[in-house]
Amino acid sequence: MFAPVDPDKLRLALEAIFGSRRVSLRLLDRQTYARDMWPRLLLARRQGEAPAHVPNAVVWPEHVREVAAVVKLARELRVPVIPYGGGSGVCGGVIPLFGGITIDLKRMRELRSVSGEDLICDVDAGMNGERFERELAHRGYTFGHFPSSIYCSTVGGWLATRAAGQLSTKYGKVEDRAAGLTVVTGKGEIIETDGPNRALRGPNWTQLLVGSEGTLGIITSARLRVAPAPQLRVYRGFELPDVATGIIALRRVLQRGLRPAVLRLYDELDTFLASMGHKSDKESDEDTARYAGASAATGDFASAPLPPVDGGALPSWPVPEPSERGGWMSRLVTLARDEGARKRLMKSASRAAQNAALSRGSMANRLFGAAATTAHRGCRLIVGLEGSRIRTEVEAQLTFAELEAAGAKDRGEEPGLAWLAHRYAVSYRMSPIFRDGAFVDTMEVASSWDRLLDLYHAVRGALAPHAVVMAHLSHAYADGCSIYFTFAASVEGARNAERVYDAIWKDGMEAATRVGGTISHHHGVGLLKAPYMAAEHREAMAIFRGAKAALDPDGILNPGKMGLVASRKEAP
Amino acid sequence: MSPFTTAAFEAALARAVDAEHVAVKGGVFPAFHVAPASAAEICEVVVACREHRVPLHPAGVGGRPSYAPDDRPRVVLATRRLAQVVQLDETSLLVEAQAGLGGLELERILARRGLSVGDYPPVVLSSTLGGILAVRTPGKSSARHGFFEDAVVAVSAVLANGRLVHTRLAPRRATGPDLARALCGSEGIIGIITSAVLRVHRKPEARFLGAYLLPSIDAAVSAVLLALREEVMPSGLRIYDSEEAGAHFEGLVLPEGQALLVAGTAGPTDLAACDRDLLGSAVVAEGGGETDLGLAELWWRRLHAGEPTPAPAPALQVMARPSRLRAVYAAVKAAAAIAGAAARAHISRFDVDGAVVFFTFCRDGHVLLAADAGALVASCAAAADTAGGWLLGARATKLDSYLLALKRAVDPDGIMNPGVLG
Ligand SMILES: Cc1cc2nc3c(=O)[nH]c(=O)nc-3n(C[C@H](O)[C@H](O)[C@H](O)COP(=O)(O)OP(=O)(O)OC[C@H]3O[C@@H](n4cnc5c(N)ncnc54)[C@H](O)[C@@H]3O)c2cc1C
Ligand SMILES: Cc1cc2nc3c(=O)[nH]c(=O)nc-3n(C[C@H](O)[C@H](O)[C@H](O)COP(=O)(O)OP(=O)(O)OC[C@H]3O[C@@H](n4cnc5c(N)ncnc54)[C@H](O)[C@@H]3O)c2cc1C
Repeated sequence: MFAPVDPDKLRLALEAIFGSRRVSLRLLDRQTYARDMWPRLLLARRQGEAPAHVPNAVVWPEHVREVAAVVKLARELRVPVIPYGGGSGVCGGVIPLFGGITIDLKRMRELRSVSGEDLICDVDAGMNGERFERELAHRGYTFGHFPSSIYCSTVGGWLATRAAGQLSTKYGKVEDRAAGLTVVTGKGEIIETDGPNRALRGPNWTQLLVGSEGTLGIITSARLRVAPAPQLRVYRGFELPDVATGIIALRRVLQRGLRPAVLRLYDELDTFLASMGHKSDKESDEDTARYAGASAATGDFASAPLPPVDGGALPSWPVPEPSERGGWMSRLVTLARDEGARKRLMKSASRAAQNAALSRGSMANRLFGAAATTAHRGCRLIVGLEGSRIRTEVEAQLTFAELEAAGAKDRGEEPGLAWLAHRYAVSYRMSPIFRDGAFVDTMEVASSWDRLLDLYHAVRGALAPHAVVMAHLSHAYADGCSIYFTFAASVEGARNAERVYDAIWKDGMEAATRVGGTISHHHGVGLLKAPYMAAEHREAMAIFRGAKAALDPDGILNPGKMGLVASRKEAP
Repeated sequence: MSPFTTAAFEAALARAVDAEHVAVKGGVFPAFHVAPASAAEICEVVVACREHRVPLHPAGVGGRPSYAPDDRPRVVLATRRLAQVVQLDETSLLVEAQAGLGGLELERILARRGLSVGDYPPVVLSSTLGGILAVRTPGKSSARHGFFEDAVVAVSAVLANGRLVHTRLAPRRATGPDLARALCGSEGIIGIITSAVLRVHRKPEARFLGAYLLPSIDAAVSAVLLALREEVMPSGLRIYDSEEAGAHFEGLVLPEGQALLVAGTAGPTDLAACDRDLLGSAVVAEGGGETDLGLAELWWRRLHAGEPTPAPAPALQVMARPSRLRAVYAAVKAAAAIAGAAARAHISRFDVDGAVVFFTFCRDGHVLLAADAGALVASCAAAADTAGGWLLGARATKLDSYLLALKRAVDPDGIMNPGVLG
């Protein structure tokens, strides 16, 4: 299928394009580029195992012509090419399954222009997310895309995976903000997809290329829609009795035509663990133990360094304070370590799911049954609005009134501001947990409103036998919403952990498909979800395969990913 | 592959679709008109066409088989019998409707439930749903609800292999390219659309109209852009230059160079009023002020209540990004003047990508029909292009080789609407 690589020949050919300083065949570089942030890879790594697949070479282009040249070379040599952005992907999308040339785009990193009247900017794919947002802020604009990984991901990686930021309810996901792309196809040709699609005949190529995770082309720059920097931010916390009531409240806000930037509804366990962040360490440790029904069980999780103090995406934003020791994630793992607590949670989850089928309204109250020995806390909802001053004020009043009419209790500004201050902190606390022999991962699914509660129970019920699960709903639309599950388990030994990990994903993905949800709202597919793509798209995969045959006839672009079979000359 | 005979093929079609819905027209190279009643029947027709290597041309109300060459046998597949609303999900505000249903008929059905596909000018809904999605160019757009295709959540279609595919329903997903986009805009060469799931909206709680006079077209465009920057989301906006205003509103005489702006806002009452006020203050900031509200009311009735619109249809339609609108307007005016004619225009259908400038040409006080002004329109179109506009319905030919490669991959025998798009 792919040709064997002669390293000396490859080096010479690459140096002819890049010179000697932007090509590496060193093992250390190749191992570094062998992986991303897929938690499954961390399981093997913590045992000191070397990566199973490494690229033959890594290159750092600075111009789209160099990208085109290296793709043409790869075509000639019959070796794969794998685009690499920040490497923050969580699905193994950059793993070089068949070796080949890994193209790190991070040296293509300019914000080329911003057109204020058109509200469009032209930006290189390798630009770091936080730098991008910062440079826009200097000019009075925002892209409005704030993934938790903003410090370590690239614009191209966002577009390649259809990423979503924390304020997506107002600004949309990246695909909603893409006006045109410059892409190098598998033939080594440079194409541009710009042009308003309602003026030009033919299909919308931008939307056919966004989300293709390097399998149809390498994005080198993009025209993205920006918004004027917000003049006003309003944040608030609300409380709802249960998830089902919360879902209705979110839906009412969105369907009234209101667009808050943030609408985050936490389920009972998520609410419980997060709320403890505002207490002293001692109190929260005791709470965790009580919740778990155990005596005292907190491990000491030194957290990964927080982003620098001036590292907020926008200089004027509150900065994460390094206040919590360990944070909710460590508390979640504490629960996962406690076999008894996990079993109780699981039982109550399946009972709740059964009850839900019978009577939707009352089920969530019983969600935790025996495990919820603490006072019932309900579900927390964080609401944030931002934008132009006058309109945002009006929209905030309407939003808060709608939520109260739907049964939400106003808890004031404090919870909203606390979320804003800490919103990047949690995601950087993963590695200590892995070092301690547990694992944590997230599963983000979505569906239309009519089946959202079913989706919540189906996925939660599928994960509960294996792990402690909590969830929040964080990206809402007029027609539906996503659900973001976080799960943690503690399993001895890498192989055992991998087995449990794989079972969790299999059961979760199948449950999501069964109730008519999608298997991914914003993390993408990569290797992790590739086995479930056939069930996700069924016969429509023929169109994806057709696009693959058209854009990458030799199958050299990121082969083996996304459920596309890795073979040259693919027939759909 | 069976050798082709008219009788054998007609029999195959009659097995797929009831015989009474098959009609053969023409002699040596007949056109077989079929009107299937379901997606399953379309699958059967496609299988028959593939078997006999007969090209297949879907047709909505336009019955646009004009692309179908008449030098070989062909099938014209009418979607008119697929005209049902399949499902209305009032929880998620989604409607699934079949491809042969007219946009206006869909609106009538939705209106009974207090719903609507959105603030699109009804005239653009006069085609079938399949036709509207297959050909996107008429610029169906509004500032409030965006481009019509953005309403599409999922599409069902029959591919050349005779299989019915459904792109799956979710508000958003991150599982590869949006496969529905290969079916929209591809004018039937990738697949025959059988139904689509669209987002719908509740009728707004309040609507407000406004009419404003501004010192110039440039000032009017600036006022609109200023308001849009303030995140105002009008349900309709239109700018008329003084000549166009005079032609569209009997008895209205504006000083030369001035512009009329009419606008509608909608939504929750407070927000719709807020939008109206923000627009009003943007107008003041650009040196304008309010004028006779009756002008806006008449404009709105023409758009949405069937009041007749001044004829004839504009001869030239140019889409432009916000920053290019003024330049396109000026360039076409100048080009028309050089050719000894006068151009007047209105600008409407604003959305995030910009707006459309509709030009009408006059010479010696008489309106020129597009058909009689070929050379003039062509030179004005060239000027618009140079100024950074796009002619509505132009072809982005630079990606043709990829489109055709995609077509070859899913339709190796080339039976789906061949000859269309490249
Ligand atoms: C702590 C943490 C928090 C996260 N939070 C979020 C979040 O809030 N929202 C969210 O959506 N995701 C989140 N993610 C996931 C991840 O950050 C996103 O998937 C991100 O979009 C990946 O960008 P990247 O530049 O790191 O891409 P990479 O990981 O380098 O690549 C991802 C995939 O895209 C391909 N690719 C990369 N660049 C290009 C290009 N220029 N052209 C074509 N293909 C390319 C790669 O081959 C790979 O298949 C998080 C991850 C972590 C580790
Ligand atoms: C190139 C072009 C530009 C146009 N520009 C404008 C404009 O600027 N303003 C305006 O008001 N009108 C315009 N029209 C006319 C009309 O508004 C659109 O064509 C309309 O969308 C057609 O709908 P219809 O139901 O009449 O379909 P038809 O006219 O019958 O079909 C239009 C095209 O779509 C295909 N098609 C029809 N149904 C399906 C289906 N179910 N699945 C797949 N393919 C299908 C047909 O084969 C044909 O190629 C334009 C038409 C074309 C072809």
